[in-house]
Amino acid sequence: MIQPLTEEKGYTLTPGSEGLIETQTLEVSIGPQHPSTHGVFRMDCTLDGETVIALKPVMGYLHRNHEQLAERMVWLGSMPYTDRLDYFNSMTNNWAYALAVEKLTGIKVPERADYIRVIMSELTRLLNHTCVIGFMLQDLGAWGTPLLYAFRERERILDLFEAVSGSRMMCNYMRFGGVRVNMTEDDLAVAKDIVTRYPRFLDEFEKLLTSNEVLLMRTQRVGILPKELAINASITGPMARASGVEYDVRKVDNYGVYGRFDFRIPVGDVGDVYDRYYIRVLEMRESIKILQQALRDIPQGPYIAPEVKLRNFKIPPGDGYGRIEAPKGELGFYLVADETGKQPYRYHVRPPSFVNLTTLEDMCLGLKVADVVIILGSIDIVLGEVDR
Amino acid sequence: MGFIGKGLLEGMVVTARNFVGSYFDKERMVTVQYPEERVQVPENSRTFPFLVFDDDKNPVDTMRCVACKICEVECPPQCIYIVMDRDEKGKPQQRPKVFDIDISVCMQCQICVEVCPFDAIKMDNDYEKSQYGRFNELVEHLPDLLKSNEYYNKIKPREASGVDAKLKADKEKKAKKAAPAASKPAAAPAPKPASATARITIPDDAPFTPEQREWLGKFLVTATPAAGAAAPAGEASAAQLAAPATGEAPAGNWPWHDPGMGIQQRLELAKNKPLADLLMAAMAQTDCHACGYDCRGYADAIAAGSEADLSLCLPGEAETENMLKKLMEGAGK
Repeated sequence: MIQPLTEEKGYTLTPGSEGLIETQTLEVSIGPQHPSTHGVFRMDCTLDGETVIALKPVMGYLHRNHEQLAERMVWLGSMPYTDRLDYFNSMTNNWAYALAVEKLTGIKVPERADYIRVIMSELTRLLNHTCVIGFMLQDLGAWGTPLLYAFRERERILDLFEAVSGSRMMCNYMRFGGVRVNMTEDDLAVAKDIVTRYPRFLDEFEKLLTSNEVLLMRTQRVGILPKELAINASITGPMARASGVEYDVRKVDNYGVYGRFDFRIPVGDVGDVYDRYYIRVLEMRESIKILQQALRDIPQGPYIAPEVKLRNFKIPPGDGYGRIEAPKGELGFYLVADETGKQPYRYHVRPPSFVNLTTLEDMCLGLKVADVVIILGSIDIVLGEVDR
Repeated sequence: MGFIGKGLLEGMVVTARNFVGSYFDKERMVTVQYPEERVQVPENSRTFPFLVFDDDKNPVDTMRCVACKICEVECPPQCIYIVMDRDEKGKPQQRPKVFDIDISVCMQCQICVEVCPFDAIKMDNDYEKSQYGRFNELVEHLPDLLKSNEYYNKIKPREASGVDAKLKADKEKKAKKAAPAASKPAAAPAPKPASATARITIPDDAPFTPEQREWLGKFLVTATPAAGAAAPAGEASAAQLAAPATGEAPAGNWPWHDPGMGIQQRLELAKNKPLADLLMAAMAQTDCHACGYDCRGYADAIAAGSEADLSLCLPGEAETENMLKKLMEGAGK
């Protein structure tokens, strides 16, 4: 089933002691029920001793028929299901789907709604990146400490999400043409408070991690993803930027009101696990910049386009692709509407973590099993999105 | 930079500060000792839906739900099941007999609340729903779901006061609309018997039981000379009822626009009227907007040919759909 890479990559198996024992490769199935696989992901590893010589990702354990379900449902009905794709970042998932529908119908989103969307999705980016770093360190063996610090901060953001949208994680907050509930002045004050606090937490987090010798030894020059491969495999998000690809949908598409904010795209150099860690820290600092500007400039006005009907919402025939820069990379929805216009004829999700996962084997070959776990952690996958 | 291990030591200082701080610093004391302590949930917080009723003494009669089944249709995971209440004769009672929500399927998305035109279903914020069983215990029936408007005001004061104000305004508007319509037939003597049939109505607040109301309605129809000559009530064929369009019905004066009547009785009242009126009389008269129009608008749209789907009247169930088909066939469309 799995081809050991002996011939192709010029790899020779480690000889047994004095040639007395014949050397064999060993197949190990890591996952699906394994705490380091971030859900229910399975890897079929072929090992020579502890060295990985082949790795095959096995997906589909959490397959929930998301796309087919959406094709049997009215347009709005899929909105709560998008929360369950990448269950860390329901706000950005909502936005990507709403954006695709708005592109198809030409609905104009009010300015305030766009600002609220930016605030929500940048807060989502903060909590996603904080948690990813926490999980990555957990994979390295730092049991709990960084992860719990990350969760403590994340909880403040989730409290705000609950106060605004009604639910901590399954927000179901955005609607075609705007958002469901307005953000009150109190909510904005809470968001401002979070934003002023966050740099302090990041400083502390960095002090704990960035120059920690153990972290440096375990992550530098591990799991290198070359720039060419990142481009060819259509890797997006922090992973691509860590490999030196300067590509960010926020800058490329300027969707929403992102064109109005002043922020930079951090780009890595080596493309190893450490770069992927540090890019995320830098991105959080840029997110804070965006948030400060958005909270300063948010205008008054309607929060949802008044002409959008909740029920009997119909879309003229056509197809469209809406994409945003989700915390994990480019998240896109490809929608096709037929003559009835009540349901999607085709509904396709382009999930970032699924596409980013395809280069796992290239990054892992020749490294030890312990490195595979940290490389997987640095890709930042959520199985709800990989398997759909 | 420093010596090897400096980063480690710095990190340990951070952990030490966090450790000590977790006892003294309010910023870092984040654990809530549940169940002794509880977090105050925000007003918008949502768990599972419940049904609102207005009067504590009579929850069943004052519940706002009219069993229009919009939420049942719109619910993305299809966890709602509604059966409309009917009396012995099969006349709809404008309230659900069965209203089940399977909370093991419900995904708390709030779409039922958003689509409800009657403000009848709202989200609870009770998060302690643990059960010993996995199956029947997790299906909530009508008695479990009914909660008072007071309770709704308690858990969501801001939202509920808005809803109350809106309902009150609607009621006043309705009363205002009904007042001139009721005084009109009394003030002006009926010029023609045919138009009199259209005008004699039983006011909504008249002290009649549904049975009496139906009987009285039939009586008023048959007692009028013009209508009395027509086919016997109840089994009138739709083709006969569909008289050629001879004039517009006065706007807002539709005697059949009463959800308490049976469908046959409504059709009787609309007899000899244009097709659009007959179609309207076949609707459930709840103005629930389940079809995307009110009852009048849906009938007009069908009659004008702009709406081809005859199955959109959810509260009318199969009865309305069959009658609409019959009427359309009778009209030769």
